[in-house]
Amino acid sequence: MSVIVRIAVEHATKRYSAGSVTVFEGLELAVRDREAVCILGPSGCGKTTLLRCMHGLVGLDAGRIAIDGSSVTSPRRNVAMVFQHFGLMPWMRVRENVGYGLALAGTPRATLDERVSRYTDMVGLNGFERAYPYQLSGGMQQRVGLARALSMEPEILLMDEPFGSLDAQTREILQDELLHIYQGHPRTMVFITHSIEEAIAIGDRIVVLSARPARVREIMTVDIPRPRTVASVVAHPRFVELRDHCWRLLRERAVA
Amino acid sequence: MTIREAQATAASAVVARRRAGRLHLSDWAVRLGSVALVLGLWEFAGPRLNPLILRPPSAIFRAFFELVGTGELQEAFGQSLREFAAGMAIALVAGILIGVASGRNRFIYNAIDPIVGALYSTPSVALVPLISVAFGRAAMGDEPRIATVALFAIFPILINTQQGVRNVDQSLLEVARAFSSSERRLWTDVILPSATPFVLAGVRLAIGRGLIGMIVAEFLIGLVGLGYLIIAYENVFRIDRMFVPVVVVSAMGILLMSFVQWIEGRVAPWLRREQ
Ligand SMILES: Nc1ncnc2c1ncn2[C@@H]1O[C@H](COP(=O)(O)OP(=O)(O)OP(=O)(O)O)[C@@H](O)[C@H]1O
Ligand SMILES: [Mg+2]
Repeated sequence: MSVIVRIAVEHATKRYSAGSVTVFEGLELAVRDREAVCILGPSGCGKTTLLRCMHGLVGLDAGRIAIDGSSVTSPRRNVAMVFQHFGLMPWMRVRENVGYGLALAGTPRATLDERVSRYTDMVGLNGFERAYPYQLSGGMQQRVGLARALSMEPEILLMDEPFGSLDAQTREILQDELLHIYQGHPRTMVFITHSIEEAIAIGDRIVVLSARPARVREIMTVDIPRPRTVASVVAHPRFVELRDHCWRLLRERAVA
Repeated sequence: MTIREAQATAASAVVARRRAGRLHLSDWAVRLGSVALVLGLWEFAGPRLNPLILRPPSAIFRAFFELVGTGELQEAFGQSLREFAAGMAIALVAGILIGVASGRNRFIYNAIDPIVGALYSTPSVALVPLISVAFGRAAMGDEPRIATVALFAIFPILINTQQGVRNVDQSLLEVARAFSSSERRLWTDVILPSATPFVLAGVRLAIGRGLIGMIVAEFLIGLVGLGYLIIAYENVFRIDRMFVPVVVVSAMGILLMSFVQWIEGRVAPWLRREQ
Protein backbone atom coordinates (compact mmCIF):
# COMPACT_ATOMS: atom_id res chain seq x y z
CA MET A 1 0.00 0.00 0.00
CA SER A 2 1.51 3.27 -1.00
CA VAL A 3 0.82 6.24 1.20
CA ILE A 4 0.83 9.83 -0.02
CA VAL A 5 2.70 12.11 2.37
CA ARG A 6 1.19 15.61 2.42
CA ILE A 7 3.34 17.22 5.11
CA ALA A 8 6.94 16.12 5.57
CA VAL A 9 8.95 17.48 8.49
CA GLU A 10 12.56 16.64 7.74
CA HIS A 11 15.24 17.14 10.33
CA ALA A 12 13.61 20.42 11.33
CA THR A 13 15.35 22.64 13.86
CA LYS A 14 14.01 25.83 15.37
CA ARG A 15 15.74 28.10 17.84
CA TYR A 16 14.71 31.33 19.53
CA SER A 17 16.46 34.08 21.44
CA ALA A 18 19.48 34.25 19.14
CA GLY A 19 19.92 30.48 19.28
CA SER A 20 19.95 30.11 23.06
CA VAL A 21 16.54 28.42 23.20
CA THR A 22 16.17 25.29 21.10
CA VAL A 23 12.50 24.60 20.56
CA PHE A 24 13.06 21.45 18.54
CA GLU A 25 16.02 19.89 16.84
CA GLY A 26 16.20 17.30 14.07
CA LEU A 27 12.45 16.69 14.21
CA GLU A 28 11.08 14.09 11.78
CA LEU A 29 7.39 13.64 11.01
CA ALA A 30 5.22 12.70 8.08
CA VAL A 31 1.52 13.47 7.82
CA ARG A 32 -0.33 11.36 5.29
CA ASP A 33 -3.12 12.37 2.97
CA ARG A 34 -6.52 12.72 4.66
CA GLU A 35 -5.18 11.59 7.96
CA ALA A 36 -5.89 13.27 11.29
CA VAL A 37 -2.68 13.53 13.28
CA CYS A 38 -2.88 14.74 16.84
CA ILE A 39 0.23 16.20 18.38
CA LEU A 40 0.37 15.75 22.12
CA GLY A 41 3.01 17.33 24.27
CA PRO A 42 3.65 19.11 27.52
CA SER A 43 3.02 22.83 27.82
CA GLY A 44 5.70 24.97 26.22
CA CYS A 45 7.36 22.11 24.34
CA GLY A 46 6.99 23.84 20.99
CA LYS A 47 3.70 22.58 19.53
CA THR A 48 2.52 26.01 18.41
CA THR A 49 5.95 26.77 16.99
CA LEU A 50 5.89 23.54 14.98
CA LEU A 51 2.47 24.37 13.57
CA ARG A 52 3.54 27.92 12.68
CA CYS A 53 6.55 26.46 10.87
CA MET A 54 4.28 24.04 8.99
CA HIS A 55 2.23 27.02 7.78
CA GLY A 56 5.28 29.10 6.87
CA LEU A 57 4.52 31.80 9.43
CA VAL A 58 8.02 31.43 10.86
CA GLY A 59 11.08 29.92 9.28
CA LEU A 60 13.24 27.02 10.44
CA ASP A 61 16.88 27.28 11.43
CA ALA A 62 17.77 23.97 9.80
CA GLY A 63 16.05 21.14 7.97
CA ARG A 64 12.87 21.66 6.03
CA ILE A 65 9.12 21.23 6.06
CA ALA A 66 7.54 20.35 2.75
CA ILE A 67 3.89 20.30 1.76
CA ASP A 68 3.14 18.20 -1.32
CA GLY A 69 6.86 17.98 -1.97
CA SER A 70 7.75 21.66 -2.02
CA SER A 71 9.34 23.53 0.87
CA VAL A 72 7.02 25.77 2.86
CA THR A 73 8.16 29.38 2.79
CA SER A 74 4.89 31.26 3.32
CA PRO A 75 1.22 30.43 4.02
CA ARG A 76 -0.62 28.72 1.18
CA ARG A 77 -4.26 29.06 0.27
CA ASN A 78 -4.95 25.31 0.38
CA VAL A 79 -3.85 25.23 4.02
CA ALA A 80 -5.98 26.86 6.71
CA MET A 81 -5.32 27.41 10.37
CA VAL A 82 -7.52 27.52 13.46
CA PHE A 83 -6.00 29.39 16.39
CA GLN A 84 -5.93 28.66 20.09
CA HIS A 85 -6.82 32.30 20.79
CA PHE A 86 -9.59 32.23 18.08
CA GLY A 87 -8.00 35.20 16.28
CA LEU A 88 -11.27 36.85 15.26
CA MET A 89 -11.26 40.48 14.15
CA PRO A 90 -13.25 42.31 16.86
CA TRP A 91 -14.48 44.90 14.33
CA MET A 92 -15.89 42.35 11.91
CA ARG A 93 -19.28 40.71 12.22
CA VAL A 94 -19.55 36.92 12.13
CA ARG A 95 -20.22 36.97 8.38
CA GLU A 96 -17.15 39.06 7.62
CA ASN A 97 -14.98 37.01 9.94
CA VAL A 98 -16.10 33.78 8.32
CA GLY A 99 -15.53 35.25 4.86
CA TYR A 100 -12.22 36.89 5.78
CA GLY A 101 -9.93 34.34 4.10
CA LEU A 102 -12.20 34.09 1.06
CA ALA A 103 -12.26 37.86 0.63
CA LEU A 104 -8.46 37.99 0.81
CA ALA A 105 -8.32 35.25 -1.83
CA GLY A 106 -10.37 37.47 -4.15
CA THR A 107 -13.32 35.09 -4.22
CA PRO A 108 -16.20 36.38 -6.37
CA ARG A 109 -19.07 37.88 -4.38
CA ALA A 110 -21.63 35.19 -5.16
CA THR A 111 -19.32 32.30 -4.31
CA LEU A 112 -18.23 34.07 -1.15
CA ASP A 113 -21.80 34.64 0.03
CA GLU A 114 -22.78 31.08 -0.71
CA ARG A 115 -19.77 29.60 1.10
CA VAL A 116 -20.09 31.89 4.09
CA SER A 117 -23.73 30.87 4.51
CA ARG A 118 -22.93 27.20 4.07
CA TYR A 119 -20.11 27.10 6.63
CA THR A 120 -21.86 29.42 9.06
CA ASP A 121 -24.71 26.92 9.02
CA MET A 122 -22.35 23.97 9.25
CA VAL A 123 -20.89 25.19 12.54
CA GLY A 124 -24.37 26.01 13.85
CA LEU A 125 -24.12 29.79 13.81
CA ASN A 126 -27.13 30.62 11.66
CA GLY A 127 -28.91 33.59 13.18
CA PHE A 128 -25.65 35.08 14.45
CA GLU A 129 -24.32 36.36 11.11
CA ARG A 130 -24.61 39.99 12.17
CA ALA A 131 -23.18 39.58 15.67
CA TYR A 132 -19.79 40.91 16.71
CA PRO A 133 -17.34 38.51 18.37
CA TYR A 134 -17.77 40.18 21.77
CA GLN A 135 -21.43 39.21 21.69
CA LEU A 136 -20.55 35.51 21.39
CA SER A 137 -19.46 32.94 23.96
CA GLY A 138 -16.01 31.37 23.66
CA GLY A 139 -17.43 28.26 22.08
CA MET A 140 -19.30 30.28 19.48
CA GLN A 141 -16.22 32.36 18.76
CA GLN A 142 -14.25 29.24 18.00
CA ARG A 143 -17.08 28.04 15.75
CA VAL A 144 -16.45 31.23 13.78
CA GLY A 145 -12.72 30.43 13.70
CA LEU A 146 -13.53 26.95 12.46
CA ALA A 147 -15.97 28.20 9.81
CA ARG A 148 -13.40 30.74 8.63
CA ALA A 149 -10.88 27.95 8.05
CA LEU A 150 -13.40 25.49 6.55
CA SER A 151 -14.83 28.09 4.17
CA MET A 152 -11.44 28.11 2.42
CA GLU A 153 -12.20 24.45 1.62
CA PRO A 154 -8.61 23.71 2.47
CA GLU A 155 -6.93 20.42 1.70
CA ILE A 156 -4.95 20.73 4.91
CA LEU A 157 -6.30 21.95 8.24
CA LEU A 158 -3.89 23.05 10.97
CA MET A 159 -5.48 23.35 14.39
CA ASP A 160 -3.63 24.73 17.39
CA GLU A 161 -5.40 23.62 20.57
CA PRO A 162 -8.63 24.99 19.13
CA PHE A 163 -10.73 23.89 22.10
CA GLY A 164 -8.06 24.40 24.75
CA SER A 165 -9.64 27.45 26.35
CA LEU A 166 -13.22 26.18 26.39
CA ASP A 167 -15.09 24.64 29.29
CA ALA A 168 -15.36 20.85 29.37
CA GLN A 169 -18.92 20.68 28.12
CA THR A 170 -18.53 23.09 25.21
CA ARG A 171 -15.31 21.36 24.38
CA GLU A 172 -16.98 17.97 24.03
CA ILE A 173 -19.75 19.39 21.87
CA LEU A 174 -17.23 20.97 19.53
CA GLN A 175 -15.11 17.81 19.43
CA ASP A 176 -18.17 15.89 18.30
CA GLU A 177 -18.97 18.48 15.66
CA LEU A 178 -15.41 18.46 14.37
CA LEU A 179 -15.51 14.65 14.21
CA HIS A 180 -18.76 14.88 12.29
CA ILE A 181 -17.35 17.42 9.84
CA TYR A 182 -14.08 15.52 9.41
CA GLN A 183 -15.74 12.16 8.94
CA GLY A 184 -18.16 13.62 6.41
CA HIS A 185 -15.22 14.96 4.42
CA PRO A 186 -11.85 13.59 5.54
CA ARG A 187 -8.92 15.87 4.86
CA THR A 188 -5.39 16.15 6.08
CA MET A 189 -5.46 17.54 9.57
CA VAL A 190 -2.84 18.35 12.19
CA PHE A 191 -4.50 18.87 15.53
CA ILE A 192 -2.52 20.07 18.52
CA THR A 193 -3.73 19.41 22.01
CA HIS A 194 -2.50 18.63 25.44
CA SER A 195 -5.57 16.63 26.31
CA ILE A 196 -4.95 12.90 25.96
CA GLU A 197 -8.68 12.14 25.63
CA GLU A 198 -9.06 14.69 22.87
CA ALA A 199 -6.07 13.29 20.98
CA ILE A 200 -7.53 9.77 21.10
CA ALA A 201 -11.00 10.93 20.09
CA ILE A 202 -9.86 12.97 17.10
CA GLY A 203 -6.67 11.37 15.80
CA ASP A 204 -5.93 8.52 13.45
CA ARG A 205 -2.45 8.73 14.89
CA ILE A 206 -1.03 10.46 17.92
CA VAL A 207 2.45 11.97 17.97
CA VAL A 208 3.71 12.32 21.52
CA LEU A 209 6.40 14.97 21.89
CA SER A 210 8.90 15.28 24.71
CA ALA A 211 9.59 18.44 26.66
CA ARG A 212 11.77 21.11 25.04
CA PRO A 213 13.76 20.56 22.92
CA ALA A 214 10.85 18.58 21.49
CA ARG A 215 11.55 15.16 20.04
CA VAL A 216 9.06 12.60 18.83
CA ARG A 217 8.75 10.16 21.73
CA GLU A 218 6.35 7.83 20.08
CA ILE A 219 3.78 7.68 17.32
CA MET A 220 0.67 5.69 18.15
CA THR A 221 -2.06 4.47 15.87
CA VAL A 222 -5.55 4.94 17.28
CA ASP A 223 -7.23 1.70 16.24
CA ILE A 224 -10.75 2.81 17.09
CA PRO A 225 -13.00 2.64 14.03
CA ARG A 226 -14.77 5.65 12.51
CA PRO A 227 -17.33 7.10 12.48
CA ARG A 228 -16.61 8.04 16.05
CA THR A 229 -18.16 10.29 18.63
CA VAL A 230 -16.50 11.32 21.86
CA ALA A 231 -18.89 9.03 23.75
CA SER A 232 -18.23 6.04 21.49
CA VAL A 233 -14.47 6.53 21.78
CA VAL A 234 -14.54 6.77 25.55
CA ALA A 235 -16.67 3.62 25.71
CA HIS A 236 -14.34 1.69 23.41
CA PRO A 237 -12.17 -0.96 25.15
CA ARG A 238 -8.99 0.38 23.50
CA PHE A 239 -9.55 3.85 24.94
CA VAL A 240 -8.30 3.10 28.43
CA GLU A 241 -5.20 1.29 27.15
CA LEU A 242 -4.31 4.11 24.80
CA ARG A 243 -4.92 6.71 27.46
CA ASP A 244 -2.76 4.91 30.01
CA HIS A 245 -0.03 4.49 27.46
CA CYS A 246 -0.02 8.20 26.58
CA TRP A 247 -0.18 9.06 30.23
CA ARG A 248 2.89 6.94 30.95
CA LEU A 249 4.82 8.49 28.06
CA LEU A 250 4.09 12.01 29.25
CA ARG A 251 4.87 11.05 32.86
CA GLU A 252 8.15 9.25 32.14
CA ARG A 253 9.51 12.40 30.63
CA ALA A 254 8.71 14.34 33.76
CA VAL A 255 10.57 11.83 35.95
CA ALA A 256 13.49 11.17 33.60
CA MET B 1 6.94 55.40 32.46
CA THR B 2 7.71 57.41 29.33
CA ILE B 3 5.38 60.12 28.11
CA ARG B 4 4.18 57.91 25.32
CA GLU B 5 3.31 55.09 27.68
CA ALA B 6 1.50 57.51 29.94
CA GLN B 7 -0.35 58.88 26.96
CA ALA B 8 -1.29 55.42 25.77
CA THR B 9 -2.49 54.58 29.26
CA ALA B 10 -4.65 57.69 29.24
CA ALA B 11 -5.97 56.69 25.85
CA SER B 12 -6.82 53.19 27.01
CA ALA B 13 -8.58 54.71 29.99
CA VAL B 14 -10.68 56.83 27.68
CA VAL B 15 -11.37 53.80 25.52
CA ALA B 16 -12.23 51.78 28.60
CA ARG B 17 -14.53 54.47 29.92
CA ARG B 18 -16.36 54.45 26.63
CA ARG B 19 -16.82 50.71 27.02
CA ALA B 20 -18.27 51.06 30.48
CA GLY B 21 -21.72 51.34 28.91
CA ARG B 22 -24.57 53.73 28.59
CA LEU B 23 -25.95 56.02 31.25
CA HIS B 24 -29.18 55.06 32.94
CA LEU B 25 -32.06 57.40 33.71
CA SER B 26 -30.98 57.55 37.36
CA ASP B 27 -27.49 58.61 36.25
CA TRP B 28 -29.01 61.45 34.27
CA ALA B 29 -31.13 62.54 37.24
CA VAL B 30 -28.01 62.82 39.43
CA ARG B 31 -26.13 64.69 36.72
CA LEU B 32 -28.92 67.21 36.09
CA GLY B 33 -29.51 67.60 39.80
CA SER B 34 -25.87 68.41 40.40
CA VAL B 35 -25.80 71.05 37.66
CA ALA B 36 -29.06 72.58 38.90
CA LEU B 37 -27.70 72.74 42.43
CA VAL B 38 -24.50 74.53 41.39
CA LEU B 39 -26.39 76.98 39.18
CA GLY B 40 -28.93 77.60 41.95
CA LEU B 41 -26.26 78.27 44.55
CA TRP B 42 -24.44 80.56 42.15
CA GLU B 43 -27.65 82.44 41.32
CA PHE B 44 -28.72 83.08 44.90
CA ALA B 45 -25.57 82.92 47.04
CA GLY B 46 -23.06 84.30 44.52
CA PRO B 47 -24.24 87.92 44.40
CA ARG B 48 -24.39 87.96 48.23
CA LEU B 49 -20.74 86.92 48.47
CA ASN B 50 -19.38 89.27 45.79
CA PRO B 51 -21.95 91.16 43.73
CA LEU B 52 -19.33 92.55 41.36
CA ILE B 53 -17.52 89.36 40.36
CA LEU B 54 -19.99 86.53 40.96
CA ARG B 55 -22.62 87.76 38.56
CA PRO B 56 -25.59 85.38 38.66
CA PRO B 57 -26.38 83.02 35.75
CA SER B 58 -29.51 85.03 34.96
CA ALA B 59 -27.38 88.16 34.38
CA ILE B 60 -25.06 86.19 32.10
CA PHE B 61 -28.09 84.88 30.26
CA ARG B 62 -29.28 88.47 29.70
CA ALA B 63 -25.79 89.55 28.64
CA PHE B 64 -25.80 86.74 26.09
CA PHE B 65 -28.79 88.27 24.31
CA GLU B 66 -27.29 91.75 24.52
CA LEU B 67 -24.15 90.53 22.77
CA VAL B 68 -26.20 88.68 20.19
CA GLY B 69 -28.25 91.82 19.67
CA THR B 70 -25.19 93.94 18.83
CA GLY B 71 -23.83 91.14 16.63
CA GLU B 72 -20.54 91.12 18.55
CA LEU B 73 -20.93 87.52 19.70
CA GLN B 74 -21.66 86.10 16.25
CA GLU B 75 -18.71 87.91 14.75
CA ALA B 76 -16.30 86.81 17.48
CA PHE B 77 -17.64 83.27 17.38
CA GLY B 78 -17.25 83.06 13.60
CA GLN B 79 -13.69 84.33 13.86
CA SER B 80 -12.77 81.85 16.59
CA LEU B 81 -14.50 78.96 14.88
CA ARG B 82 -12.58 79.59 11.64
CA GLU B 83 -9.25 79.53 13.49
CA PHE B 84 -10.21 76.47 15.47
CA ALA B 85 -11.53 74.51 12.50
CA ALA B 86 -8.48 75.27 10.36
CA GLY B 87 -6.05 74.46 13.17
CA MET B 88 -7.85 71.22 14.05
CA ALA B 89 -7.95 70.18 10.40
CA ILE B 90 -4.16 70.62 10.15
CA ALA B 91 -3.64 68.78 13.44
CA LEU B 92 -5.90 65.92 12.33
CA VAL B 93 -4.31 65.41 8.94
CA ALA B 94 -0.71 65.91 10.07
CA GLY B 95 -1.20 64.07 13.38
CA ILE B 96 -2.79 61.01 11.81
CA LEU B 97 -0.32 60.87 8.90
CA ILE B 98 2.77 61.26 11.08
CA GLY B 99 1.27 58.98 13.74
CA VAL B 100 0.56 56.21 11.24
CA ALA B 101 3.95 56.54 9.54
CA SER B 102 5.90 56.57 12.78
CA GLY B 103 3.80 53.83 14.31
CA ARG B 104 4.67 51.44 11.53
CA ASN B 105 8.16 52.50 10.51
CA ARG B 106 11.03 52.22 12.96
CA PHE B 107 13.20 54.73 11.12
CA ILE B 108 10.53 57.44 11.12
CA TYR B 109 9.68 56.62 14.71
CA ASN B 110 13.26 57.11 15.85
CA ALA B 111 13.61 60.23 13.73
CA ILE B 112 10.59 62.05 15.14
CA ASP B 113 10.32 60.57 18.63
CA PRO B 114 12.84 62.88 20.39
CA ILE B 115 11.33 65.94 18.72
CA VAL B 116 7.77 64.97 19.52
CA GLY B 117 8.81 64.07 23.08
CA ALA B 118 10.54 67.42 23.59
CA LEU B 119 7.69 69.46 22.12
CA TYR B 120 5.04 67.54 24.02
CA SER B 121 6.92 67.93 27.30
CA THR B 122 7.18 71.69 26.79
CA PRO B 123 4.04 73.53 27.89
CA SER B 124 2.63 74.60 24.53
CA VAL B 125 1.76 78.04 25.90
CA ALA B 126 5.47 78.80 26.20
CA LEU B 127 5.82 78.39 22.44
CA VAL B 128 3.06 80.81 21.48
CA PRO B 129 5.31 83.93 21.50
CA LEU B 130 7.66 82.00 19.21
CA ILE B 131 4.83 81.39 16.75
CA SER B 132 3.91 85.04 16.94
CA VAL B 133 7.46 86.09 16.12
CA ALA B 134 7.89 83.41 13.47
CA PHE B 135 4.90 84.70 11.53
CA GLY B 136 6.04 88.29 12.03
CA ARG B 137 4.38 90.73 14.33
CA ALA B 138 3.06 92.59 11.33
CA ALA B 139 1.08 89.56 10.10
CA MET B 140 -2.54 90.47 10.58
CA GLY B 141 -4.03 87.27 9.19
CA ASP B 142 -5.29 84.27 11.11
CA GLU B 143 -2.24 82.15 10.30
CA PRO B 144 -0.36 82.46 13.60
CA ARG B 145 -3.52 81.66 15.58
CA ILE B 146 -4.34 78.69 13.34
CA ALA B 147 -0.77 77.47 13.86
CA THR B 148 -1.23 77.80 17.62
CA VAL B 149 -4.41 75.72 17.60
CA ALA B 150 -2.62 73.10 15.47
CA LEU B 151 0.37 73.06 17.83
CA PHE B 152 -1.85 72.54 20.87
CA ALA B 153 -4.00 69.88 19.21
CA ILE B 154 -1.53 67.81 17.21
CA PHE B 155 0.29 65.87 19.93
CA PRO B 156 -2.53 63.87 21.48
CA ILE B 157 -3.67 62.90 17.98
CA LEU B 158 -0.18 62.03 16.77
CA ILE B 159 0.85 60.09 19.85
CA ASN B 160 -2.44 58.21 20.16
CA THR B 161 -2.44 57.28 16.50
CA GLN B 162 1.14 56.09 16.81
CA GLN B 163 0.36 54.01 19.88
CA GLY B 164 -2.81 52.65 18.30
CA VAL B 165 -0.83 51.48 15.28
CA ARG B 166 2.00 50.11 17.40
CA ASN B 167 -0.31 48.30 19.79
CA VAL B 168 -2.06 46.24 17.14
CA ASP B 169 -2.62 42.77 18.51
CA GLN B 170 0.30 40.73 17.18
CA SER B 171 -1.83 37.61 17.09
CA LEU B 172 -4.27 39.31 14.71
CA LEU B 173 -1.40 40.32 12.45
CA GLU B 174 -0.44 36.66 12.39
CA VAL B 175 -4.01 35.67 11.51
CA ALA B 176 -3.84 38.09 8.59
CA ARG B 177 -0.57 36.56 7.43
CA ALA B 178 -1.95 33.06 7.87
CA PHE B 179 -4.71 33.97 5.41
CA SER B 180 -2.19 35.52 3.00
CA SER B 181 -3.29 39.13 3.45
CA SER B 182 -1.69 41.73 1.21
CA GLU B 183 0.00 44.69 2.89
CA ARG B 184 -2.82 46.99 1.80
CA ARG B 185 -5.52 44.71 3.20
CA LEU B 186 -3.50 44.37 6.39
CA TRP B 187 -3.99 48.11 6.87
CA THR B 188 -7.67 48.26 6.06
CA ASP B 189 -8.65 45.01 7.80
CA VAL B 190 -6.46 45.04 10.88
CA ILE B 191 -4.24 48.02 11.65
CA LEU B 192 -6.59 50.95 11.00
CA PRO B 193 -9.69 49.46 12.67
CA SER B 194 -7.66 48.51 15.69
CA ALA B 195 -6.11 51.99 15.91
CA THR B 196 -9.43 53.83 15.44
CA PRO B 197 -10.51 53.98 19.10
CA PHE B 198 -7.06 55.29 20.04
CA VAL B 199 -7.18 57.94 17.33
CA LEU B 200 -10.63 59.09 18.44
CA ALA B 201 -9.57 59.19 22.08
CA GLY B 202 -6.69 61.38 20.92
CA VAL B 203 -9.08 63.63 19.01
CA ARG B 204 -11.19 64.10 22.13
CA LEU B 205 -8.12 65.16 24.10
CA ALA B 206 -7.06 67.38 21.18
CA ILE B 207 -10.37 69.26 21.19
CA GLY B 208 -9.78 70.43 24.75
CA ARG B 209 -6.20 71.43 24.02
CA GLY B 210 -7.14 73.06 20.71
CA LEU B 211 -9.69 75.29 22.45
CA ILE B 212 -7.05 76.34 24.97
CA GLY B 213 -4.74 77.11 22.05
CA MET B 214 -7.45 79.15 20.37
CA ILE B 215 -8.12 81.34 23.43
CA VAL B 216 -4.44 81.72 24.30
CA ALA B 217 -3.65 82.78 20.73
CA GLU B 218 -6.45 85.31 20.82
CA PHE B 219 -5.10 86.70 24.11
CA LEU B 220 -1.51 86.85 22.92
CA ILE B 221 -1.63 87.32 19.17
CA GLY B 222 -3.78 90.10 17.82
CA LEU B 223 -6.77 90.24 20.18
CA VAL B 224 -9.66 88.92 18.10
CA GLY B 225 -12.54 86.49 18.46
CA LEU B 226 -13.96 85.12 21.70
CA GLY B 227 -10.61 85.63 23.46
CA TYR B 228 -10.78 89.31 22.65
CA LEU B 229 -14.35 89.56 24.01
CA ILE B 230 -13.21 88.05 27.31
CA ILE B 231 -10.34 90.56 27.67
CA ALA B 232 -12.40 93.51 26.44
CA TYR B 233 -15.24 93.01 28.95
CA GLU B 234 -12.83 92.16 31.73
CA ASN B 235 -11.13 95.53 31.14
CA VAL B 236 -14.42 97.39 31.56
CA PHE B 237 -15.45 95.12 34.42
CA ARG B 238 -18.59 93.79 32.72
CA ILE B 239 -18.16 90.39 34.29
CA ASP B 240 -21.61 89.25 33.11
CA ARG B 241 -20.61 89.91 29.51
CA MET B 242 -17.14 88.49 30.09
CA PHE B 243 -18.71 85.19 31.03
CA VAL B 244 -20.66 84.90 27.77
CA PRO B 245 -17.69 83.94 25.51
CA VAL B 246 -16.40 81.70 28.31
CA VAL B 247 -19.67 79.78 28.30
CA VAL B 248 -19.64 79.67 24.50
CA VAL B 249 -16.14 78.11 24.46
CA SER B 250 -17.15 75.59 27.06
CA ALA B 251 -20.28 74.71 25.04
CA MET B 252 -18.06 74.26 21.97
CA GLY B 253 -15.93 71.80 23.89
CA ILE B 254 -18.88 69.81 25.18
CA LEU B 255 -20.61 69.67 21.80
CA LEU B 256 -17.50 68.71 19.86
CA MET B 257 -16.54 66.00 22.31
CA SER B 258 -20.05 64.51 22.23
CA PHE B 259 -19.85 64.67 18.46
CA VAL B 260 -16.61 62.67 18.45
CA GLN B 261 -18.19 60.21 20.86
CA TRP B 262 -21.12 59.84 18.50
CA ILE B 263 -18.74 59.27 15.58
CA GLU B 264 -16.99 56.62 17.65
CA GLY B 265 -20.27 54.79 18.15
CA ARG B 266 -20.76 54.94 14.37
CA VAL B 267 -17.32 53.84 13.20
CA ALA B 268 -16.46 51.55 16.12
CA PRO B 269 -19.71 49.80 17.03
CA TRP B 270 -17.77 46.80 18.31
CA LEU B 271 -16.86 48.90 21.35
CA ARG B 272 -20.53 49.27 22.26
CA ARG B 273 -20.20 46.68 24.97
CA GLU B 274 -23.28 46.20 27.06
CA GLN B 275 -22.95 45.87 30.80
N1 LIG C 1 8.42 34.43 19.15
C1 LIG C 1 9.13 33.79 20.10
N2 LIG C 1 10.29 34.31 20.55
C2 LIG C 1 11.02 33.68 21.50
N3 LIG C 1 10.67 32.53 22.06
C3 LIG C 1 9.53 31.95 21.67
C4 LIG C 1 8.69 32.54 20.66
N4 LIG C 1 7.61 31.75 20.47
C5 LIG C 1 7.78 30.71 21.32
N5 LIG C 1 8.91 30.83 22.03
C6 LIG C 1 9.41 29.86 23.02
O1 LIG C 1 9.42 28.60 22.40
C7 LIG C 1 8.97 27.60 23.30
C8 LIG C 1 7.81 26.84 22.69
O2 LIG C 1 6.68 27.69 22.58
P1 LIG C 1 5.31 27.19 21.94
O3 LIG C 1 4.35 28.31 22.04
O4 LIG C 1 5.59 26.64 20.59
O5 LIG C 1 4.92 26.01 22.92
P2 LIG C 1 3.55 25.20 23.02
O6 LIG C 1 3.93 23.78 23.07
O7 LIG C 1 2.62 25.61 21.94
O8 LIG C 1 3.03 25.64 24.43
P3 LIG C 1 1.51 25.66 24.97
O9 LIG C 1 1.17 24.26 25.31
O10 LIG C 1 1.63 26.51 26.19
O11 LIG C 1 0.65 26.24 23.91
C9 LIG C 1 8.59 28.31 24.59
O12 LIG C 1 9.65 28.14 25.50
C10 LIG C 1 8.49 29.74 24.20
O13 LIG C 1 8.89 30.57 25.25
MG1 LIG D 1 0.69 26.56 21.96
